[in-house]
Formats: sequence, structure tokens, C-alpha cells
Amino acid sequence: MDLALKLEGVTKRFGAFTAVDDLSLAVPTGCIYGFLGQNGAGKTTTIRMVMSIFRQDQGSIQVLGHSDAADVKDRLGYLPEEKGLYKKMRTAEIVAYFGKLKGMDRATANLKAEELLKQYGLGDWLDKKCEAMSKGMGQKVQILGTIIHDPDLVILDEPFSGLDPVNRDVMRDTILQMKREGRTVIFSTHVMEQAEKLCDEMMMIHKGQLAFEGTVAQIKSGRDQGIRIEYDGDGAVLRQLPGVERVNDDNRAAELFLQPGHDPQDALRWLVDRLTIRSFDVREPSLHEVFVRTVEERDAVVAAAEEAN
Amino acid sequence: MASKTLLVAQREYVENIRTKTFWIGIFIVPVLIGAAMGVGVLLQKFKEVQRYTVVDLGEEGLAEEAERKFRAADFTALFREIRKQSESGSLQEELRSLAATFEGVEEPEDITGEQQLALLNWTYNQPQAVRDRIEGLSTSQRYEYVDPDELGVEASDPAELRKALTKAVNDGDLFAYFVLGEDPATTLSDFQFICDNQTDDALRRAYQNTLTEIIRAKRIKEAGIRRKVAEHIQERVTFKKKKSTETGEDEDVEDEDVANQWAPIGFVYFLWIAIFSIANLLLTNTVEEKSNRIIEVLLSSVSPAQLMHGKIYGIAFTGMTIIGTWVVFALLAAWLAPSLLGDSGGSLNVLIAAISNTGYLMSFVLYFLGGYLLYAAVLVAIGSVCNTLKEAQNLMQPVMTLLMVPLIAMVFITQEPNGTVAKVLSFIPIYTPFTMMNRAAGPPETWEYIVTSALLVLTIWLTFKAAGKVFRVGVLMTGNPPKLREILGWLWKS
Repeated sequence: MDLALKLEGVTKRFGAFTAVDDLSLAVPTGCIYGFLGQNGAGKTTTIRMVMSIFRQDQGSIQVLGHSDAADVKDRLGYLPEEKGLYKKMRTAEIVAYFGKLKGMDRATANLKAEELLKQYGLGDWLDKKCEAMSKGMGQKVQILGTIIHDPDLVILDEPFSGLDPVNRDVMRDTILQMKREGRTVIFSTHVMEQAEKLCDEMMMIHKGQLAFEGTVAQIKSGRDQGIRIEYDGDGAVLRQLPGVERVNDDNRAAELFLQPGHDPQDALRWLVDRLTIRSFDVREPSLHEVFVRTVEERDAVVAAAEEAN
Repeated sequence: MASKTLLVAQREYVENIRTKTFWIGIFIVPVLIGAAMGVGVLLQKFKEVQRYTVVDLGEEGLAEEAERKFRAADFTALFREIRKQSESGSLQEELRSLAATFEGVEEPEDITGEQQLALLNWTYNQPQAVRDRIEGLSTSQRYEYVDPDELGVEASDPAELRKALTKAVNDGDLFAYFVLGEDPATTLSDFQFICDNQTDDALRRAYQNTLTEIIRAKRIKEAGIRRKVAEHIQERVTFKKKKSTETGEDEDVEDEDVANQWAPIGFVYFLWIAIFSIANLLLTNTVEEKSNRIIEVLLSSVSPAQLMHGKIYGIAFTGMTIIGTWVVFALLAAWLAPSLLGDSGGSLNVLIAAISNTGYLMSFVLYFLGGYLLYAAVLVAIGSVCNTLKEAQNLMQPVMTLLMVPLIAMVFITQEPNGTVAKVLSFIPIYTPFTMMNRAAGPPETWEYIVTSALLVLTIWLTFKAAGKVFRVGVLMTGNPPKLREILGWLWKS
């Protein structure tokens, strides 16, 4: 399989702290790939190594088939988690500037910047200074700066955070468009529903180590099935359900997990007596559940190991 | 790869020349210098007339004699100027005939009343422009004797008169008054000068000199010494100021030479301001890039070294544009001044000639570049480890303290441009630009230029290396700025 990105045994330390620990993963070309993990798990450090902002202490990173990411910098696009612009620069200028930094020639970059801004509804803002823009608009300008040079691999760190639903759709469509054009998109997110819907493959990193990697189906396989309900009423009773092991209660919807040997049908009967059930579904666990369980399991292993010491 | 550095540099340049600070920087300095010079001339011109009077307690009419002689001294100065100008200068034609009237006049007492009158008449018949030039020389324009009666002071005895006059001084009606002692023939210890202005001492000194001469002459006469003998005895030693030349001939020291010796001070001062304000642009915008996180996007496209170099060069271009404009202004001033100001420029022309000295201007530009590059690297490294301007200012403090040295040593080095202190400071690279600029009037020897420049270039190179290492690590750091020890650790490790 053709790989856009391949990491093998990558380790990065900052002093005594190991930010990324023996990480290996493979991102196929032309897919949408999710980077999951808690805050501080090592996602940004991994991304920075891929972008050759940092150099790994051990292991190898292959980007677009090159062993030194610096060689292909111009074919990469990167939208960092913390988004900033030069306040005093004009919108069209800054987008074009990012393009030029990626090796585009002056005229093409200027033209393309204007084109993109118009296409994304910022035609009136071409000559305005960045400081005058709202956060959402600023983020759009940033994303345009990231993709102006038609990169083969785009890495977006939390691209959806801070966007309203309309701009979220714009962002999603941009990602899908890139996939259609055969580009590879890696993005990190904390919103599991989004990752579940959008990503062809994903990986989770926990405390610098790879927790899982693969397609959504692969990741979920082998996990306990859960009950998903939509309901009205007082969700506090959910925890009293006989044989319940875990509850992810969202007030008007919930995901329940039963201990082995308990029948979902019995649970439904019990619930109907106490709540207004609008829907009931037994299926594989949500990505959210997988994520939270993985964190718990891994932390428990570490705690046990520490106790043994 | 170099083109990316250039792109960064170009962006910095364009962004900076768009700011108001840039244009203020370009124009405010020449305007300030021009204004300072102009104001100095104007102040001289519009200096208020100092009104004074004299209470003479003696009975020999010393006050009247002094007044006569004091006036005569004015004419002395005038006629000396006329003599000088009649030999050269723009008033040559008008003054030649007048100078002839003073043929044989050497000392103030030699000027007769007739000659004084001729001079006054001639002066009043001149056009205003010429009169401005001539009258500016006259002490009578600056000091005016006022009779106590004119002040409306009535007093029956000296004590009362003095009280009234002191009050007049206090009220500002009178600038000052003199009290001449009862018996000047024997004692001079009871002479007094009553004045509230303790900074402008010119009137007292001028009057004091006049009185001294009168009393001395009287005493010589009383002692029965012949005037020629007395003059011979009293003759003062005066050194004519000369300077050396390469050929071994000596030359008279002109005003130009003095101005040239002091001019480097001004250059050092502006060098200091220019280096810091311009390198400071680098500090602030590095911190800005860091605090608004744009740095990460940049680093995904360019290497930290390209970014750092691009920034330093971009702002170097900005600085050179400012400095270049200043130099053009100085040269323009030198070119235009003679035709605009004419001879009435006087000392102003001398000053302008000193600041447009090609050697100084070249040193200024080159030492600006050297000093800027050195401090730019330090400041960009400081900026890279800080997240806020406040943190950066804290880190700047030790740097600033070190940098006070050239300012403190400035006057000292000007007076002793080839002294030990000046030489030692020249060889400390962080002080080389300032000290060598300061010594430019010396001037330092060629080998000193070569060695100090080599040291400076080497230091710039090393500082760039070190700054690059700090920048690479620091620029992505968040949280508190690292300790000095940690920074040294980065330098050592990689």
C-alpha cells in the first residue's frame, strides 16, 4: 500500500519527559486520518516531528516517501492548533505569503490567494487587515493559507474548534474535497463523533504511546456491545438499572453497558417503566466510549505497575 | 532555500515601512537636529537684554569710567570683526572703507569718540541684514546700563538705594546691579554683584574685566611705573592653537577642527539610539509572532534558521533605509547650507560641515550595520524565549546595563580618543561600534580598525550561531522563559 506517512519507533524526549514513546503508524495515501488523544498525549509533538519542526530522538519518519521531511516541506500543509495571523497584514497578502513560503511564484500565489478568498466568501476582505476579522474568518484565512499550494499531505490540528456550524460544514467540505483530489488529510480532534463520521482510519495516542490504530470497524471490534437510547425523563435512574456496568448519560440520550449475562431486552422493559424511550439500539460501542475506556484501561495498567514497584 | 530567507526579510521590510514609527524615525531625527541647531542660533539672537545699574560708593567716578570703557570694549570687538570680515567674507566690499577708518587702532582705549561715531553712523545706514550681522557682535545689544533715576528709585543714602535696587532685581525690573567699594585704590574686597540668575555669568565677568583694567591702570600710575613697563610686565602668555599635519608643518586650529573633534559624540549618541530602537523592532515582532502562534505555521514552511536570518536581514534593510535617509539629509544640508544661510550661518555652517564629514558618515553607516547585527542576534534570541513583552523587558535589563558603558564613557573618550580606556573598549566587540565611532576624530590607527573589525565580525558570526540555537528551541517554548543556565545548556548541547 502507498503510504503518505510512516512512523517507525519514533521517540521524542524533552529533558526527562518522554513526549512520544516508540510510536509506529502508517497513514495510507488519499485517506482522511484522525489523530486522537487527550490534551498533552503527544499529538502536537508527533505532528511537529512530521513537519520537521522538531527532530525525533529515535526512530524514523517517512513523509511522502522521503526519509527527511524537510525535503518535502513544500508539499505539506499545516494548520496548527493555536491559530494566529499577522494582525497588520492584509488578508490576501498573508494567504499569498504562505503560498510563496511554500515555493509558489509571486504572481501565481497572489492570484490563487484572491481566488480562494472569493471562493470562501471573503471577497470583501481582500484588502482588509487581519486584525479586523472575526475569529471564524481568521480561521478560514488560515486554512486557505494552509492549502493554497495544493499540498499532497495536509495536517490540521483541531481544525473545527471555534467554528460555528456553517463554517464547520465549510471546513468538512474542504477536507472531503481534498480527499477527492487524492490528497491525504490528517487531523486531530477531541470531538469523537466527528472523527467517527469523517475518518477513514485513525489512531489514538495516550501518554506518548500508541493506544490503537486502524479503521473505525477495526478499532471497535472485540469491544462489548452497548445499548444506545434516546429518552425523556430523569436520567438519574439509569444508574439503578439492574446489571448496569457503565453509563454515558447525555441528558436526552445515553449509552449503557451491561455486565456479562444481562439481557438488553430486560433492560429495555425496565427502562420503559421509568422513562419515555424514543429509540433503542444495541450496537458496537461509540468511539467516545472506546476512547474513555482506553484511557481508563491504560491508566489502570500504569497504576498497577506502579503499585507493584 | 535562500529565497525563503529573502521572502521573510521582504515581509518584515514591507510591514515595517508601513508603520508610522518608521516614518517618524526617518524624519524626526533630522528635524530634531535641525531644530536644535536653529533654536540655538535663535536663542542667541533673541537673548533678552540684561538691564543693570551700578552703585558707586567711592568718590573717584569709577562707575562712569567703567561704563565708558565697557562701551569701548564693544567697539573693540566690532572693529576686530570688521577687520576680519574686510579681509574675507561676504561683507568685504562694504567693510573695506570702514576698516580704513580704524587704521592703527590696536587697543580699546585707542578708539576715539570720532571713530565710534563713524562706526555707529555706518551701522545705522546699512540694510537690516547687514546690521543683524554686525549688531549681533555688540555687547551693548546684550547689556544695557540703566540709571537708577530711570527706574523710579529715589533714595537719600546708599543703603536705601541698595534696598530699592535689590527689590527691583527681585521684581525682575533689573537683571543685576554692581556695588563698587568705597576705596578702590586700597581695597577691592567690598565689591558686590547682586543678581538672581546664577547660570548666566557673562555680564559679571565682562564688567569685572573692565574694572580690573581700570583699577590696574590707576595703581600703575600711582606707583609711578611707566605705562610701557607696566604693559610689558602684565603681558599674558597666550598659546596659539595649532595642530599637526602629515608633512610636519603645523596648522592653525579653526572652529571646524573643534567641531570635528566633538562631532563623534553626536554620532555615537545616534548610533546607540538607532541600534537599539531598530533591533528592538526585532524583539517586539519576534515576541508578537510567538504570542500569536504564527511562528508554528512559519516553521512548517521555513527552517528556524531561515526565519531568524530573514527577520534580522529584513529589519536590517529597514534600519539601513532610515540611516541612509539620515545620511542623505546630512549631505543635503552640507550642500545647501552655504547658499541658504550664507555667511550668516557662521557656527551653524561649521556644525553642518562636521556632521556631513564623509569619514564620520561612513563609520556611522558601517558601525550601525555591525552593531545592529550583533545586537539583533542577541535581541532575537531574547525575543524567541519570551511570550510577552514584559518578560522580554526583564531579560533585556542586563543587556541594557552593559550598554550604558559607551554612553557613560562618551565624553571621556572624545577627550582622549587614543587613551587606554578608549583602546581597551575598542577591543571589546560589544563596545567596538560605539567606541570606534567615538574615536573617529582621533583617529585610531589602521591596524586598530582592522583588528577590531575582525573581532567584531567574528563575534557577530558566533552570536548568530548561538542565537540560532537559542531561537530554534526557544521559539516553540511556552510558559515561563528559561533560566540563563538552561539557555547555556542548549548552546552546549547542540
